[in-house]
Amino acid sequence: MPTINVTLYGDIAQYGSGKQLATLDLDLPQDANIGLLLERIRLPSEERGYLFVNSVLHDVPGLNASHNDPLKDGDHVGIFSISHMWPYQYRQGIHLSDTLKAALEEKGVMKNTYRE
Amino acid sequence: MARKILRIKMDDLSYKYEEVPSKWAKWGGRGLTSNIVAEEVDPTCHPLGPNNKLVIAPGWVSGTPAAPSSGRTSFGGKSPLTGGIKESNSGGTSSQKIAKLGLAAIILEGMPKDSKWYVLVITKDGVKFEEANDLLGKGMYEVDEILWKKYPNKPAIIGIGMVGEKKLSNAGISVNDPENKPGRYAGRGGLGAVMGARGVKAIVVDDTGGPGVEIANMDLFKTGRKKLTDAITSHDLTKPGGGLNSYGTNVLMNIINEAGGLPTRNFSAGYFEGASKISGEMIAETVEKRGGGMTGHGCHTGCIIKCSNIYPDEDGNDLVSPVEYETAMSLGSNCGIDDLDYIAKMTYQCDDLGLDTIEAGNTIAVYMDSGALEFGDKEGALSLFDEIRQMTPLGRILGQGVKATAEAFGVFRVPTIKGQSMPAYEPRAIKGIGVTYATTPMGADHTAGYTIAPEIAGVGGKVDPLSDEGKSELSLTFQAATAFIDSTGYCLFIAFPILDIPEGWAGMAESVAGVTGQSITGDDVISIGKEILKVERDFNTRAGFTAADDRPPEFMRYEKLPPHNEVWTVSDKALDEVFAWVNS
Ligand code: SF4
Repeated sequence: MPTINVTLYGDIAQYGSGKQLATLDLDLPQDANIGLLLERIRLPSEERGYLFVNSVLHDVPGLNASHNDPLKDGDHVGIFSISHMWPYQYRQGIHLSDTLKAALEEKGVMKNTYRE
Repeated sequence: MARKILRIKMDDLSYKYEEVPSKWAKWGGRGLTSNIVAEEVDPTCHPLGPNNKLVIAPGWVSGTPAAPSSGRTSFGGKSPLTGGIKESNSGGTSSQKIAKLGLAAIILEGMPKDSKWYVLVITKDGVKFEEANDLLGKGMYEVDEILWKKYPNKPAIIGIGMVGEKKLSNAGISVNDPENKPGRYAGRGGLGAVMGARGVKAIVVDDTGGPGVEIANMDLFKTGRKKLTDAITSHDLTKPGGGLNSYGTNVLMNIINEAGGLPTRNFSAGYFEGASKISGEMIAETVEKRGGGMTGHGCHTGCIIKCSNIYPDEDGNDLVSPVEYETAMSLGSNCGIDDLDYIAKMTYQCDDLGLDTIEAGNTIAVYMDSGALEFGDKEGALSLFDEIRQMTPLGRILGQGVKATAEAFGVFRVPTIKGQSMPAYEPRAIKGIGVTYATTPMGADHTAGYTIAPEIAGVGGKVDPLSDEGKSELSLTFQAATAFIDSTGYCLFIAFPILDIPEGWAGMAESVAGVTGQSITGDDVISIGKEILKVERDFNTRAGFTAADDRPPEFMRYEKLPPHNEVWTVSDKALDEVFAWVNS
């Protein structure tokens, strides 16, 4: 059973019993993915901002590109609230997952948020 | 009343008001400081000698009624740190007061013949030169307090600490905030030493009875102001309770760390295990727990974003304002220090002594890298500020910044470009910012290239922002947009809502057009910004800069940065393309 280390940043830390920061280790089934992890911690997608797995950006505010991305034992997932900012010029050239890269090419990569 | 230039001559302690020449009439803020410096300062002069000048200019809309977050002041001159042109931009109380006195700029030139130090008191009635000997050797906290007691009407105080008095290259210029604390800094580039070289310890600006700012087209101004205000107050990042308001700029600490781009232990890693302990989220928790300090603090009256904070000590008393992301990086992760209380104490020292926090922290990191101090030694790091305060030989070296300290202590990992050290984004992990660091006329500067909307920038559809190929054009576009915003007086953080909300962008341009009477629309922004960049690049060329100065430090080309184990890969050719148009 894979164990995933998760850190929640901002007011979503409440889903991990924290105030602004919460870290938890979750045991997930073998075929675990990000969608399942979000379900397990009961984090609604509209409250989820940037999401990283092992220093690679997998999702951004307002997109749900990552839900089918698989997770494996020992992965670290960092999830931010939607109010976290990350101006484009400070993320230009960082590592993106393939699914996010494809989604951003469609949506326009330079935006700060993809929420309607 | 048309805006005037106030020229202050320190060699004979005289001043005069001048009409703004038509060639400069269209400029404000950075556009004006850079044009004046480029024309009046010999690019080959010594920055501390008699031929350099300090130019201070509020932005176009500063001092107008309720223009949101518009209290930014530009400080310009030849930089002692880079040897090139410098515009350093500060919040605080000065911009609105200078603008309300009807001034487009203050030019400070010459050096007192009697080697005395002065406080300049600027009111609607002119300039008084008052001897400052009683303020010498005093830190900015005390200076601000003394000057607010001495002068009525809660004036703006622009001042230098001991580091500026000694004319060291990491001397910043302090501006007081609405609570009269000295934490708002035109920090970068050593302009505090340029002010010190004019024999000026402080400038007191009282706008009481001033003529105010003339607005050419009030209706257009109000329309633009409303659009911009609506954009700021509705965007997730800038609205009340949004990211900047809740966590300050330090909202970036954990994000950049998760991405593997947080400068750590003198730029030897991109991930710091203690990042969350020194982040904006931790500041918010600390403020709540200690029952003192605050988040959502404004650096000047009229800021509606309010990204600043006041950090409380263990007893809940105000310790320092603000603790920003760049500061938490330089004095924190880059020194291997994961203790916010120590970062706050060191920030206090920087603000009091008159040091730029980015350069100061990076300097300590280089000193640690030499083996003189362990990474993570917070007591040792804090004690270095005593060396600076006492101006010991070590303190003087540290006060000169990263490059000088690396030379003095034999360190090859020197994270500088054009002599100025890098802010909080590792260029090996975030390569786009590296292109801007390398090519901006200012030396490594994270505020030199803010994103704006592709459809506005005219780059939408032309480049793929995800590939290495488009980085040169994007960097130029961002740098041009930033040069424009730096001229408006608006805080750069309006760039976030105007990227996502096109009416906000139009509103910014319309408010500027309304104040100045110029026909500026969103479509003109990039070309106006490029005019400013051209003037700045040309100054640097005349100062002797070449393509070799537009390069990241050598170690980044061969030292792999964990966790992604990347090196700098953008080609020199791509860097040279950014400003190829200037000489063509
Ligand atoms: S957003 Fe922050 S830096 Fe900008 S003007 Fe407001 S308080 Fe100052």
